[in-house]
Amino acid sequence: MDLALQLLFTGIGIGSVYALVALGFVLIFRATNVVNFAQGEFSMVAAYLMVVFAVDLGWPYWLSFLIALAGMALLGVIFNLGVYYPLRHRTFLPVIIATIGASILLANSVLAIYGPQPQVLEGWFETPGIQLGPVYLDSQYLLIIAVTIVLVIFNYWFFEHTMLGKKLQATSQDKEMASLLGISVSSMIMITFVYSAVLGGLAGLLVAPILFVSIQMGSTIALKAFAATIIGGFGDVAGAIIGGLALGIIETFGAAYISVPYKDGFAFLVLVLFLVFRPQGIFGERVAEKA
Amino acid sequence: MKLTRRDFSAVLAAGIATSVSAPALLRSARAQGATIKIGMTVPITGPAAEQGKYAVNGAKLALEAVNKAGGVLGKQVELITEDDQTTNPGIVLAFSKLAAQSDIVAFLGSIRSTQVHAMAPDVLKLAKPVMFGGTDPNLTKLGNPWLFRFRPNDSYSGRVIADYGVKTLGKKKWAIVHSTDAFGTAGGKALTEALVKLDAPPVLDQGYANQSQDFTPVVLAIKQSGADVLGSYFTFENDLGIFARQLRQLGVNIPWVGSPSIVAVSSTKLAGPALFGTYGVADYAEDSSPAAKAFGKAYRDAYKIAPDNQGSWPFDAMTVLCAAVNKAGSTEPEKIRQAILATQKFPGAEGEYNFDKNGDGLHGYNIVKNEKGNIVFDKHIEFDN
Repeated sequence: MDLALQLLFTGIGIGSVYALVALGFVLIFRATNVVNFAQGEFSMVAAYLMVVFAVDLGWPYWLSFLIALAGMALLGVIFNLGVYYPLRHRTFLPVIIATIGASILLANSVLAIYGPQPQVLEGWFETPGIQLGPVYLDSQYLLIIAVTIVLVIFNYWFFEHTMLGKKLQATSQDKEMASLLGISVSSMIMITFVYSAVLGGLAGLLVAPILFVSIQMGSTIALKAFAATIIGGFGDVAGAIIGGLALGIIETFGAAYISVPYKDGFAFLVLVLFLVFRPQGIFGERVAEKA
Repeated sequence: MKLTRRDFSAVLAAGIATSVSAPALLRSARAQGATIKIGMTVPITGPAAEQGKYAVNGAKLALEAVNKAGGVLGKQVELITEDDQTTNPGIVLAFSKLAAQSDIVAFLGSIRSTQVHAMAPDVLKLAKPVMFGGTDPNLTKLGNPWLFRFRPNDSYSGRVIADYGVKTLGKKKWAIVHSTDAFGTAGGKALTEALVKLDAPPVLDQGYANQSQDFTPVVLAIKQSGADVLGSYFTFENDLGIFARQLRQLGVNIPWVGSPSIVAVSSTKLAGPALFGTYGVADYAEDSSPAAKAFGKAYRDAYKIAPDNQGSWPFDAMTVLCAAVNKAGSTEPEKIRQAILATQKFPGAEGEYNFDKNGDGLHGYNIVKNEKGNIVFDKHIEFDN
């Protein structure tokens, strides 16, 4: 039982990271109907920005954090204008290829500027964690879980109860109709890219103290986050969160009770099962709304 | 046959073209032979890019010394690198690019056993000497006469880890954690065999896949096994850093004797206090010999960072290779091969090289301890067989 509790905590912690990145995937997909394969690199770039300001320049942690997130917002703008906007009238394939190209460019640019050395980024807390009975709670994982909960609530409120959120939803459901109703589609898509980049960056900043800061950190998380979005149903915000958490828990329990080397295998086995038997994901895409 | 005016013009034009281009061709041919070329497949991108940088550092340091001392066969030596991307397809491609350059006389390969396995068939086809650092014992048992190892293999590291843990630390209940790649699997197997011989069969043998983001299940398995000592074979320093932190966080504080990555510069930097008090087998230990000390000083002076095995093995490989080509008096592959095999009692940064018929140069390991981040030499254990 102690073992299961410990695994559950870790599973939810790592699953929350997948969920945060998956959320970025979903928001972009809803707005543009394309998958942004550079979402993982957003996490990596944010973590490196944090290293530059907090470690290299020695600026206060909170200030470096805000600058890193602001940097991600700027990257979201550049990404929208440089990668999506020129190809917005083409089919989804060139855009997807452009996002893959952008992800390679981002990874190699950071490699060229910062070098290949992984970096250490300390967490927010002095104490690495707390022992609660038989379960050790890592403070960084606690923070990740807390941020995920806050973001889920925020997303619900933002998309369902604010005018901007409703405009974003309208844009994602039917761009032409939204445009006819006077919504600036380009602005809505720009906001979505900025928000997704900030979300991806936030995931990177939160997970960096656990996984260290490396060029590969983004792609490793993004692969799982991508699987999470498929499990949750592409285009479904709640699905991304549930998919991410489910994936984290499945792989952690699978590793502990069946086989550690096949840990990633469990995640992708579940993915394949979903693709075969329920390609629309846990909740299913609201096709009627798209029509 | 009647020679027309057109034919005459064509012959004349060809003649002029040849006479104009001939000096250029000769110059180019001379330029090609102006240096002795050594190829090197090295990770410039991918998860081991940092280690790749250290490897190039080591090779270049040796190259500078060789060139300063007059080069090889009276010519300067030139290093040509290709990115292996830290992947098997990457190294096969990188090696094929280098192999296509016929004037490259020999090569430095990878420190990663998996990748040396991937390139081994092409090495056999090309039939030119390749120096490598992978420690899977099987690599020199493939019957490939062109592979030469510049680090001790894991049949030695397994025996040294087992020997030190059982006899010096007095621990008999072992948990083994290893990567599931060629290096980790072979290392874990070698350690298990050595422990069985010492009457201390492991209570846990746990593999993990490279690039793991979470080791909680592995740590909990160690905890549950009741092991009182841990032996490990980690391939990537990043994985080792994450594991070390989680191991200590989840309250496992048993002694730990690891393969060389546990004392690598990146690992000690990433894991910090989580690795304090651990032991490691290290092919490179700065205080183990005068040659190791001299390399360490030269490396620090040149690159302002601490030396480790990532830089020391290519340094030795380049030094021994250049000495062998000089001794062979020729760049003919078979003559270089014989000269490397004849290398005995050669004092390198990693230890004393005595090549056996399989192409293994080193036959022992150093035990070192992480004392608050400083890697301190403890003792050298050498085997005759």
